[in-house]
Amino acid sequence: MSFLLPGFLLAAGAIAAGAVLLHFIVTREPDQLELPTARFAPERTIQARARRFEPRDLLLLLVRVALVLAVGAALAGPVIAPPRREVVRIVMLDRSRAVASPGEAADSARALLRDGDPLILFDSSATLLERNISDSLAGLAGTPVAGRISTALITALRTASRIRDRADSIELVLVSPLAGEEVDAATDSIRDRWPGGIRLVAVASRVAPPAFPVILESDPGDPLGMTLPLPARSGSPGTVRVLRRLASSADSSWANQPGRVLVVWPAHFEVPPGWAAGTPDTAGAVVAGDVVVVAPFVRQVIAGGIASGPSGARNDLVLARWVDGEPAAIETPVGAGCIRTVTINVPTAGDLVLDPRFGRLVSVLTQPCGGAPDWSPLEPDGRARLAGPERGLRTAAATIPPAERMATPWSRWLMVAALLLVGLEAAARRRAAA
Amino acid sequence: MRELTSGALLDALRGAHWPARRMSRGAFQGGHRSRRVGASPEFMEYRPYQQGDDPSRIDWKLFGRTERVAVRLSHDDSSLRTMVLLDASGSMAFPAGTRAKWKTAAAIALGLAAVAHGDNDPVGIGIASTPPRVIPPRSRRGVVGDVLRALLETTPAGSSPLTPLLLSARTSRRVALVSDFLGDAEPLLTLAREKVAGGTEVFAVHLVDPMELEPGEAARVVTDPENPALRRPLGAAELEAYRGRFAEWRHALARDWRGAGAFYHEVSTADAPDRIVRRVTGFTEPAPRGA
Repeated sequence: MSFLLPGFLLAAGAIAAGAVLLHFIVTREPDQLELPTARFAPERTIQARARRFEPRDLLLLLVRVALVLAVGAALAGPVIAPPRREVVRIVMLDRSRAVASPGEAADSARALLRDGDPLILFDSSATLLERNISDSLAGLAGTPVAGRISTALITALRTASRIRDRADSIELVLVSPLAGEEVDAATDSIRDRWPGGIRLVAVASRVAPPAFPVILESDPGDPLGMTLPLPARSGSPGTVRVLRRLASSADSSWANQPGRVLVVWPAHFEVPPGWAAGTPDTAGAVVAGDVVVVAPFVRQVIAGGIASGPSGARNDLVLARWVDGEPAAIETPVGAGCIRTVTINVPTAGDLVLDPRFGRLVSVLTQPCGGAPDWSPLEPDGRARLAGPERGLRTAAATIPPAERMATPWSRWLMVAALLLVGLEAAARRRAAA
Repeated sequence: MRELTSGALLDALRGAHWPARRMSRGAFQGGHRSRRVGASPEFMEYRPYQQGDDPSRIDWKLFGRTERVAVRLSHDDSSLRTMVLLDASGSMAFPAGTRAKWKTAAAIALGLAAVAHGDNDPVGIGIASTPPRVIPPRSRRGVVGDVLRALLETTPAGSSPLTPLLLSARTSRRVALVSDFLGDAEPLLTLAREKVAGGTEVFAVHLVDPMELEPGEAARVVTDPENPALRRPLGAAELEAYRGRFAEWRHALARDWRGAGAFYHEVSTADAPDRIVRRVTGFTEPAPRGA
């Protein structure tokens, strides 16, 4: 057992010792008696007398000492740590869409985990498991969400800080296909907060699907047709339909199927549901990811001032923005597919549609729902930065910063015991006075 | 106070009397020998007829035998208005656990009232509580019950003096004071002396608890319940001095009250109340005045 704030326990011990001392040396006046004939007693000074130690006072003394120690121990925050081990392994298991076989990944993790080792399941979020890990691994299923190694690292760092007292050293293991989409700009800085190395266990990554065929439903002279690949067979699974008009209910139900993308991109001035007609103005550029297209676009439809998206739904994803930050294209999940609403007018004059940057913008707007996956393996440099030094996979627990101090359940129980002792002390005091 | 309500005390006092110690000057018919010469059958003497005597009281048979005109004198019985004055100050609530002094004092007061009522004397009670409670002397049937209720409703506390109650008992020809005399003893004695001089029979029942006589040798700080500022140590070292001063005070008290012409009795709470009542109402000769 250790204490978060041992000073309180020391202070309680000192107070208890003082109570024991006072119990023996305290003085008090003799007993009082109301006597009507008190006037006949001779006038003398009332002298205090030393209190004699009597066996009946032992109970009172014990209760008082226990009370003080209980309060002190409660304030000190006792922590009962499990038996200390040589090494604790924190396994970060990827279950994102990049994992080809979640079962195989689970087997890899199972081979690494020992009794008492924590497991972190992650995709775009992370879940820490410390109990019933075998059951969780047995039923592990992949998720259609892109993975984020940063999220797993943050959870691993917090877990390591919390369990640093359980082991002499801690080892981090990352079981993941290490796909390119799982590394973001924060990954390196978060990785640097871990002082040791990370064991990387690569599992098979999914193979990127072929590009979806795009079907443009518009007039023959639509300039957008010049930027799109040749149309595939209409209605085939995994199709991207680009409507140059507002969507009907039949179109929306079509987009409900898995892998289907319905891009609503009106060719003329029309206000899509959830948007509002605005005063026409000129927006100088559109930004979509790392694609920037500078052109005198005429903006006629605005997002209605709803930050989360024109429809107000929480799951809306902004794919492109005007140069002033207003949404220009959003993606709304519909069933297993999605509907993408684009308010960027395609100029009929000029050669903008022939600009490669505009072509890349169109590619972004016609990519599969959730964005195009990047399941390519991480570059060797990126892997090396993630793994860190090869020697030193085990990180000394002492070098890991401790977790924030917080109350333990023992403090509450000790406080309850202290309250009970208060009542017992009163009873013992009455008994001693009787 | 179950001793009062059980009826045992009144049963024990059945048949007891409280005769007047002096010739009564009462105007009402009663059981005491009056100084007035009345028309009761008990013959006293003949007196020669004088101008102003009622001619109907002339003993014509005597005149027939001796030719002397004389009137027949006889004793007249009169009632004695009796007031029992009871101290209900805080010192009477001693000991704190049993209140033996108050219980005994209340029993004595009830017993005296019952005995007086049994003699057809108007009896009342004055309780020096806060506020004082007075039941004027009555001879009606339920007056003893009224006295009992007044006693049951009283809790001894504070330091109410007895003197005002004695002062207000002007018409009573017999006054019994039941007290520990630790309060207004001096003015009470002065007033009692005047009462005695005026022909009132004054009985002083001085109540003492055995624990007051022997408080024990355990070292304690004793406090006057009527004067909390008075705190003194009382242990083995002080006990002898305490006993001596207390005894001296009681002796002086008895001497002063008896000297004032009152019938003084020091009684203990350890005694049975009915015995105390019989002792107070008995025919013991009062000490000569000035003794």
